[in-house]
Amino acid sequence: MANEKVDVVIVGAGASGSVFAAVLTRAGKKVVLLETGPDWQMSDLISSDIWARRVKTAGAPFLLEGKNPFGYSYQSGWGVGGAALHYFANFPRLLPNDFKIKSEHNRAHDWPISYEDVAPFYDKVAQDIGVSGDAKAEEIWRPAGRPYPMPPMKTFRHGDVWLKGFEAVGIRMVLAAVGMNSTEFKGRPACIYDGWCHVGCPIGALANPNVTYLTEARNAGADVRPWSTATRVLTNQPGTRITGVEYYDQKKERQVQEASVVVLAAWAAQNPRILLNSATDKHPKGLANSNGLVGKYMMAHFNSGTWAMFDEDLQNHMGTTGAQYMSYDRYSKTSHKGAFGSSFITAGSALKTSDLGGFANARLDLFGPDLQLFMKRGARGLTRFGTFGEAMPNIENRVELASDKDEVGMPLGRIIHSYDQDAIAVWNANFEEGLKIAKATGAKEVWSARGNMPTIHLMGGTIMGTGTENSVVNSYGQTHEVPNLYIAGPGIFATAGASNPTYTIFALSLRGAEQLASKWSTVAG
Amino acid sequence: MEQIERRAFMKGAAIGVLTFTVGGVEVLLTPSAARAQGVPLRTLTAAQAATLDALGETLVPGARQAGISHFVDQQISIPAEEALLEARILNVRPPYANFYRAALGAVERASQALNNGQGFAQLGEAEQRGFVDNMRQNKIEGWQGPAGPFVYLLLRSDAVDVVYGTMDGYAALGIPYMPHIAPSRRW
Repeated sequence: MANEKVDVVIVGAGASGSVFAAVLTRAGKKVVLLETGPDWQMSDLISSDIWARRVKTAGAPFLLEGKNPFGYSYQSGWGVGGAALHYFANFPRLLPNDFKIKSEHNRAHDWPISYEDVAPFYDKVAQDIGVSGDAKAEEIWRPAGRPYPMPPMKTFRHGDVWLKGFEAVGIRMVLAAVGMNSTEFKGRPACIYDGWCHVGCPIGALANPNVTYLTEARNAGADVRPWSTATRVLTNQPGTRITGVEYYDQKKERQVQEASVVVLAAWAAQNPRILLNSATDKHPKGLANSNGLVGKYMMAHFNSGTWAMFDEDLQNHMGTTGAQYMSYDRYSKTSHKGAFGSSFITAGSALKTSDLGGFANARLDLFGPDLQLFMKRGARGLTRFGTFGEAMPNIENRVELASDKDEVGMPLGRIIHSYDQDAIAVWNANFEEGLKIAKATGAKEVWSARGNMPTIHLMGGTIMGTGTENSVVNSYGQTHEVPNLYIAGPGIFATAGASNPTYTIFALSLRGAEQLASKWSTVAG
Repeated sequence: MEQIERRAFMKGAAIGVLTFTVGGVEVLLTPSAARAQGVPLRTLTAAQAATLDALGETLVPGARQAGISHFVDQQISIPAEEALLEARILNVRPPYANFYRAALGAVERASQALNNGQGFAQLGEAEQRGFVDNMRQNKIEGWQGPAGPFVYLLLRSDAVDVVYGTMDGYAALGIPYMPHIAPSRRW
């Protein structure tokens, strides 16, 4: 079935898609958002780790291969709001050194833009959706910018106890920047510190898309279509222009939505899957893929967690799932001898009992009566801090199409991912330093959260660069090969950095959307 | 029909219970209540449920009474996109019933091979703990099925869910639940 042509179709109603929708509706464009899952309401966000699994990934699975298969379900989304419906809302930025790794170290590649190009958009996003933190304090690591619109969040004992340890090893901690309300902001209430951020914040104190950019877009007339799964981006006969998107609705009936511009904002792994499935005789390797780089350079963060058990009651159930404190003191690419890549430290996350982040998993080796005893102790005295690490982009880490197909006949995606020796060295170095920090706190027991090397925050697959010789899109997310096709989200990151990515996703999307709006007639034709 | 089923599911979600079928009628119950009332299983066999009960109790004391078998049975009997199982988070490929059948089958086969034909549920507590400890470390020779450490991780997560992931579980640990939107029943 064909639908009336619109100005823009955005595939994916998460963090990046919501920004494009808000900016383009503000510019007077007729916008349709296609979202594969349900239209979640705030009343769906029940405070329970068990019930929260409803808002995480469902639908066609990705097949996972490689030495470090990418475990995506915990951190990817399904439904309106996407992964940002249930994210931790830590809002660190990338730093200037992230954009120039090739120039400064002859490793990986440079971004086609600098920190200074993105910084104004970090500041704009903060004002748009609300960020709490101490921007001035961050200036020990980054150029000055605007203050955040809200003061930092409260801290709690389970975060404060780490400060002595960090001081002992010379690591400076500052109050964390988070996408949460420390005070009322634009009619949204202040946080009440109940520690359920990661299952979705139904009061809107946490800046998820459904209470920020998406609300703005909907109020301006954006047509959000849940249960609509995009399968192909369609082109004209010569293959020079995008004409629309093929998708399947809730009844599994094929639909075509024509548009002047298409924005793929469906997640770092799903965007390549759609592009590769959009192959035609003019684009035999897939859309925007004449150089074979679609799906390549998939990247992930890893985390070195350190646990500590105290005798005192730390009230570790309180606070936010995001961090109380953060530090870039190990953000230099060469912070650790014999390793290469940045590290970013966070401390002070509220603990709940179950699911991947629950404290039952703090000692995975325990079961039976031993676990029972540990749970009782952990309920009072357990706390954790974590250090994210950066892995360099590797062309062998990729998304490709599998032979298996989903229920509408689209090939499943396969994610192949392995860490290199540098990443493993950074991971190990952060564990070693973590134990030193923990021991200096005076905790009764300390241990590393070692297990399989984790994969967090999938990025890459449609990376940005200076041209088709090195990338899929330019710095705005516009594909090099088809001018009216944009990609948005972490897939366009050229390198991963070590910072939680969502603030950068918002900032890059705002930059791309504003460029698209300003160049509309040139792009849309 | 699909809309009706969805509304029923959402109603269950809102009040924190699951939909079980009793005498041909759908009722909303917690897994522990379903167990206490002897609600018939929909997908698991009685033998599989007995193995799961015994495994769950070995992993997390209290899991049997908390209704781990009814929880898993109900969850693998509904569409995968509605499931609340940790299997979803650990990237198990739907349908999830396939994983549970394979995992429980592997446990049962290994137990019988190692214990003169005795199934896991028939073992003494010490033998059950020893078996689980070996499964956790992938030390059971001749194991056939999903990797033992992964079976341990996933079933341990299910047991943690029903014992400690509920409002009752938080209360037992003395942790204030502090919900924004609480399940109106204690599940």
